[in-house]
Order: sequence, then C-alpha cells, then structure tokens
Amino acid sequence: MTTLEERPPVAGEPPGPERRATGLLAALTTTDHKRIGIAYMLTAFTFFLVGGLLALVIRLELFGPGAQVVSQGRYNEMFTMHGSIMLFLFLGPFAFGLANYLVPLQVGAHDMAFPRLNALSYWFYLFGGITMLGGFLTADGAADFGWTGYTPLSSVVRSPGLGGDLWIMAVALTGLSGVLTGVNIVATVIAMRAPGMRMFRLPIFTWNMLVTSVLVLMVFPVISAAAVMLFADRQFGAHIYDAVPQDGVVGSPLLWQHLFWFFGHPEVYILVLPYFGVITEILPVFSRRPVFGYAGLVFATIAIAVLSVGVWAHHMFTTGAVLLPFFIGFSMLIAVPTGVKYFNWIGTMWGGSLTFPPPMLFALGFLFTFVMGGVTGVMLASAPIDFHVHDSYFVVAHMQYVLFGGSVFALFAGLYYWWPKFTGRVLSPGLGKAHFWMMFVGFHTTFLVQHVLGLDGMPRRVADYLDSDGFTGLNQVSTVGSFLLGASTLAFLWNVVQTGRGRLGTVAGDDPWGGHTLEWATTSPPPPESFAGPLPPIRSQRPVWDQRHPDLMTTGGHRARAGTTETPSGDGQRGDGEPGEGEPGGGDPGEPGDGGGRP
Amino acid sequence: MWATVGAVRRLPAAWRFAAGAIALSAASGCSLPGFGAPDPKSSEGESIYSLWQGFFVAALAVAALVWGLIVFVVLRYRRRGDEIPDQSAYNIPVEVVYTVTPLVIVAVLFGFSVAAQRAVTDQDVDPVTRIDVVGFQWSWQFVYPDEGVTVTGGPGEPPEMVLPLDEPVQLDLVSSDVNHSFWVPDFLSKRDLIQGVDNEITVTATEAGTYTGRCAEFCGLDHWRMYFSVRVVPADEFDRWLDEQRAAGGAG
Repeated sequence: MTTLEERPPVAGEPPGPERRATGLLAALTTTDHKRIGIAYMLTAFTFFLVGGLLALVIRLELFGPGAQVVSQGRYNEMFTMHGSIMLFLFLGPFAFGLANYLVPLQVGAHDMAFPRLNALSYWFYLFGGITMLGGFLTADGAADFGWTGYTPLSSVVRSPGLGGDLWIMAVALTGLSGVLTGVNIVATVIAMRAPGMRMFRLPIFTWNMLVTSVLVLMVFPVISAAAVMLFADRQFGAHIYDAVPQDGVVGSPLLWQHLFWFFGHPEVYILVLPYFGVITEILPVFSRRPVFGYAGLVFATIAIAVLSVGVWAHHMFTTGAVLLPFFIGFSMLIAVPTGVKYFNWIGTMWGGSLTFPPPMLFALGFLFTFVMGGVTGVMLASAPIDFHVHDSYFVVAHMQYVLFGGSVFALFAGLYYWWPKFTGRVLSPGLGKAHFWMMFVGFHTTFLVQHVLGLDGMPRRVADYLDSDGFTGLNQVSTVGSFLLGASTLAFLWNVVQTGRGRLGTVAGDDPWGGHTLEWATTSPPPPESFAGPLPPIRSQRPVWDQRHPDLMTTGGHRARAGTTETPSGDGQRGDGEPGEGEPGGGDPGEPGDGGGRP
Repeated sequence: MWATVGAVRRLPAAWRFAAGAIALSAASGCSLPGFGAPDPKSSEGESIYSLWQGFFVAALAVAALVWGLIVFVVLRYRRRGDEIPDQSAYNIPVEVVYTVTPLVIVAVLFGFSVAAQRAVTDQDVDPVTRIDVVGFQWSWQFVYPDEGVTVTGGPGEPPEMVLPLDEPVQLDLVSSDVNHSFWVPDFLSKRDLIQGVDNEITVTATEAGTYTGRCAEFCGLDHWRMYFSVRVVPADEFDRWLDEQRAAGGAG
C-alpha cells in the first residue's frame, strides 16, 4: 500500500494521448503495470520474430541432404538459439506481459503490488535477452550446445566459446527476473483484490497466473543456481558437473540433467498454464456461458502444478539412471487434470451461443491442436515408447504441438481478444481469419510429418541427413509448411499496422465482445490509474456480465436457471442434457454471492 | 474387483474400445499396422512395438472423441439468435465421470507400460556375447572383449557392429567424452552413454540383415555424422567373422 502512496501524482490527471507520448524518459522510468506489460509483450514478440527466422533457416537447411544455407557449426547455433529464445525469452515473458497488464485489472487493482520491482524484472529480462543474443556477435558465435545445455558438452573444454558463457548468464538473469515477477503476481493476487473479489471469484486467467507464479518461485531459483554452478565449472574450475576426477574431486554430468529438468518440466507448465487461462477467458465470452466446472478447473490447475514437480525424470528415461515406474506413473497422471480441463472447455461451449471472430477461431485451433500434443505426451510418458522416440523428431513434433499448437495459438487468441483493450481498436477480423487459416494449415503441414520422421529414425538436432536415409520427402513437406507458417505472421503484422493507422479494424469502446471480467469495465485503453470510475459490484466470477444481465446474475451455485431470454421467445436454447433445464425460468434476480452466504 | 469391473462397464464406448484395443494388441501382437513405427528386428523391439500399437489406438480414440465433441458443439451451438443460452455452470455427476475415466485409462496404460518396460530392461543373466560400446566425438568403437576383437569407426567411416542372430547380446555403453545415445531404429530402442553412468542393455536380434544406427543425443559439431551399422548374421557366420577379425589382427 505504501507503494501506492509513493507513486507520482499522475492518478488525478485525465488519460489522453499526450500522456502516452511523453517520450523516451517516460518509457524508461515507467512503473505503470500496463506500460510494463506492453513492453514485455513487445520485447517478447520481437524475440519471437527472431526465433522464428532462425527456425526458417533450420527448415531451409533440412530441405534436402547436403549443406543448403549454413555450415554445421552455424546450424548448431541456430537451433540452440531458436529453442533458447522461444523458451526463455518468448513464451514465458509474453505470459508475464499479459499478466502484468491483466491481473491487476482482473482483480480490480490499480497496479501490481510492487510496481518498481516490476520495472526491475522487466529490465533484467530485457538485458538477459540481449546478453543471450549477444553471443552472435562474438568471434566463436552464439551458444551451440542445445537449449538444454547438457554437460559435459557445455563444459569449457567442449564448448570454449564466449557465447556459452553469455547464454549461461542470460539464463541465470532471466531466471531472476522471473522470480521477481512471480513474487509480484502472487502478492498482487493475494493482497490487492478489490472488495468482493474472493479467491473463488477470480477469473481463471488470474488463477492460472497465480499457480504459474508459484511454480516459477519453486523452479526458477533452481535453474538460476544450476546455471551459476555451470558458470563456476567453466570459469573457476569447480568440477561440479565433471565426471573426470581432478585433484581427488569428481562431479556428475548427470546432475545437470536432474537440475535442468527439475526446472524444465514445470517450465513447460509455466509456458502453457497462462495460455490455458487465456483460452478459459475466451471460450465463455464467445459462448455466452459461464466457465463450466469452475472449481474443478481451479483444482485441476493446482493438480497439474503439484504433479509437474514430480515428473522431471521422464526426460531422462534413456539415461538408465532413474526409477522408471515412478516417473511413468506420475507423468501419466498429469493427463488426468489436463483431460478435466478439456471437458471444462467443451462443457463451457455446450449449450452456448457460439460466434467465431478471430479470438474464438484461435481458441478452437488451440483445442483441436493441443489434444495431439497431449496424447503424444502420454505416449512419451511410457518409458518403453520413449526408448524408441526419445531425442527423435517425434519429440520435436510433440513439443511443437504443445508449445506452438497449444501456447502460441492461445497467445494469438489472447492478442486478438485483448488488443481492443490494449489499443482501443479491434483488429480486422478478415485479416485475422486469414492469419488463422494460414497458421493452422502451415502448422500442421510443418509438424505432423515430423512425428513420422522421428518414428522412422531421424534424430533431433541433426544438421544434415543422408540421401539413403529416406528422410528427404517429408522434410520437404515440413519446410514448405514452415514458410506458410512464417507468412501467417506477416498477415498479423499487416493487420496490426493497418489497424494502427486506422485503415482497418473498428473502434473498440469499453467492451467490444460482451466480456465477463473486470478489465472490460474500464475504458480501452484504460487510464493510468486503470479504473476511472467505481468498479461494478463483484458478486460472482462475472461482475461485468452481471451488470449487463441483472436478471441473470451468475450464481456460482450448482443450478443456474436455464432458458431465460432477452428476447421473449423462450424456446429452443435450453441446453440439451444440462441440469437446470426445465427449472422455472422467471425474471426475478438470482441470488447474489457464490453460495457462501455472505452479503 | 467387482467395483472395478462395474466402473469399466460404465465407461463411454470410446474409452472401452480403447482399453479393449490395447489389451487386444498387447495380447495378440501384430494384427494391427505399425502406425509409422518400423517393423521390430529384436525381441525387445517387439515388446515396444506392440505397446506402441496399443498406445496409438488409445490416443486416436481419445483425440477422435475430443475432436468429435468440438465439431459437435461448433455446429450444434453456433449462434442462431440473440437469446441468452442456458447458464448452468456445474454438473457434478458429469464432472466425476470425466475425472475418473481418464484415471482408469492411464491406470491401464501404466500397467502395460511397466510390463513392457520390464521385458525391455531385464538383463540376460548369462549372455554369450558381450560388447563394449564406446561413443566418442564423433564415432563409435565396438569391442568384443572376450574374443579380442575391436571395430573402430572414424568421421565419415561408420563402423559396423556384427551381432549373432537370436542370441541375447549384452552391450556395455560408455562414453569417452560428452553424452551420446546408442539408437538402432529397427530395434526400437536406445540408451544413453554418459560418463559416470554404467549402462548395460540386452539386445536379441530376431532377423538377419543390416540396420542403420545413429547417435541420438546431441554431441557437438559432427553429431549427425555419428552413424553406424549393425549386421545381424546367423551364429556360425558370426563365429567365422570373429575368426577373420582375429586373423586380421583383432582391430578392424
């Protein structure tokens, strides 16, 4: 609360374009969660474009046997930096950007709990990212030992280049940045909620960011510490990950894998849970329904987080040094809460009134695609199957289906959904649909065939293959698909530019979609103090919906009324098989509250 | 027990089909196609192959159910008027079913996985042939310590491992530098070579022929070039090959 009082006295001034245009100094010194959120998203998206270009180089190189565009050494830098950028600098930080912007709005707060710490984490992230990419400017090039940085390959003997040290310090620094953001989000959700915003009225995106942040606090310190130890090995001869005894000291290369994956697997959930949250915001709005099974969904998210810290060694089945049945069982169990989420999402749409603007299209693309990443994940959790497909293109395909087919589809769904809130204009739906279909077709063309390549025996991270391997045809399909996928991003950028110049898109107003949660109760874009007027009363998970439909107040109880209509027709839409069908539908207002009984 | 049977009976048809398909394929082996996996050329690979078939069918059933539901809601519940739809947000019996059903499915998959894993990782107590497999940047050395034969590869010169047909062979996997991984796709199995970890696997080749092997764990500049071949020959031919190697000085 002290931080609120110490803020410069901008809160009383009216919002306006002149405030946003106060130049470089304002951008560099801002502690406004919305500006920091935008900065995070812009920076992360820039890294996404860089990582995407690297991916296109990778795909070009694999178009056929023999060297196409880069040397083997450069190729190894390319895929290392592609993975590192996408995982450390893009998906997670972009989610932090969304959270920065949206969590305070969704809980009805004016800013994050610690605005200056927030700014600090952004700058740590930016400089961490620049440090990592700086490797390209060194004589030996960027890090080239894979984004997993396995020892002993990443030791100073095997990878002496400066790029490796820059990579390690970047991982440690962005890890620290993540920890600070995690603290901030947890504190904001716990301590900054508006009156009436109980935990079980939080929007699911905010719930997921809370759980994600707790995971961040558990595992980011581990990766930062592991990176610092690797740095000590390289620079100070610490021998922590060194299996060759020196001066009577012997370390363990396998230790790095344990530490890395103890971070790395929860990291996967850190990269998908926020985007699960995005999907759970979008589906109800475009179905005109509440989230189905809200409480179960929250517990499923928590269950995923709890299980995710006990499954790291499924990345290490082939090391021969882990207890297989334990990690098979735990890894498979994660499929259960994830499956529950799927049924929550389908249940949300069930009986609804669905429209399909770009946010909903991308959300459906997510649902359609991510299930494939899910089922291949269960396959990989089965150690014997993993013995065959581990470290092959099957794993690459699985990962892309989870992180691109899952997270990136959801990310674009969120961008189209909240763009009006961020900028005041709705992106062109026509170009949005073109973007979606190019991305959807491009994605599946690129990555579906990679499952087959992996099963056929193509290892991951190979710079080349032989004509006699028989991998050529499917690699060519994949490369063609990847260029369609890359081109889809141009459709998005064109949309952004043209909408920004006012040639496409429409003016948004406060709430262009008929939103449910508090960010739609303020102007688009919101004023510096976030909410100019009083908040709507918060009596359910959908305060803005309740305000618009006082006769249909979300009860949060088990049986909301069905079939009440705005237009007095009263038939047809009574939700097949739903409970509540046939209950008296009258016009009296619902019970406020969530069943807890407090007024 | 009866409760379990009852629970299985109450499962939706698709799930029951999946569980049945797994049981069937695990029991009867190869009546199903390989769904992209190579035909197994080792007995360990056969266990993995049938497990893969079962998992693929189960995965396809689950994905088809989800896709079907998505397509259904998209077609059935697209907006037709300005009417506010049903607002019910809970259905406890349905929620219990969709939580318990995946639990049952993964329990079944877990059982089959652990059984197959035991079949693959169990070591033969008394292997006739033992081979030390040494991985290095960027090739392999295959040492037959009991026969005094060594085969060493080099960059661009893939070494050949010769295996006797239908005999369990123990491979001791060691790395002399960074991590590598010994993968013969036709055997459907791989194992890492890591300094400080003693890895032993048993391979029982079931079909004569020459198969390509590759290093699966990224190991630096020439990783992709670290391939080798495995030639499976009948036992008498294997003995002849060993004699020839010894006559040639033992190091190939």
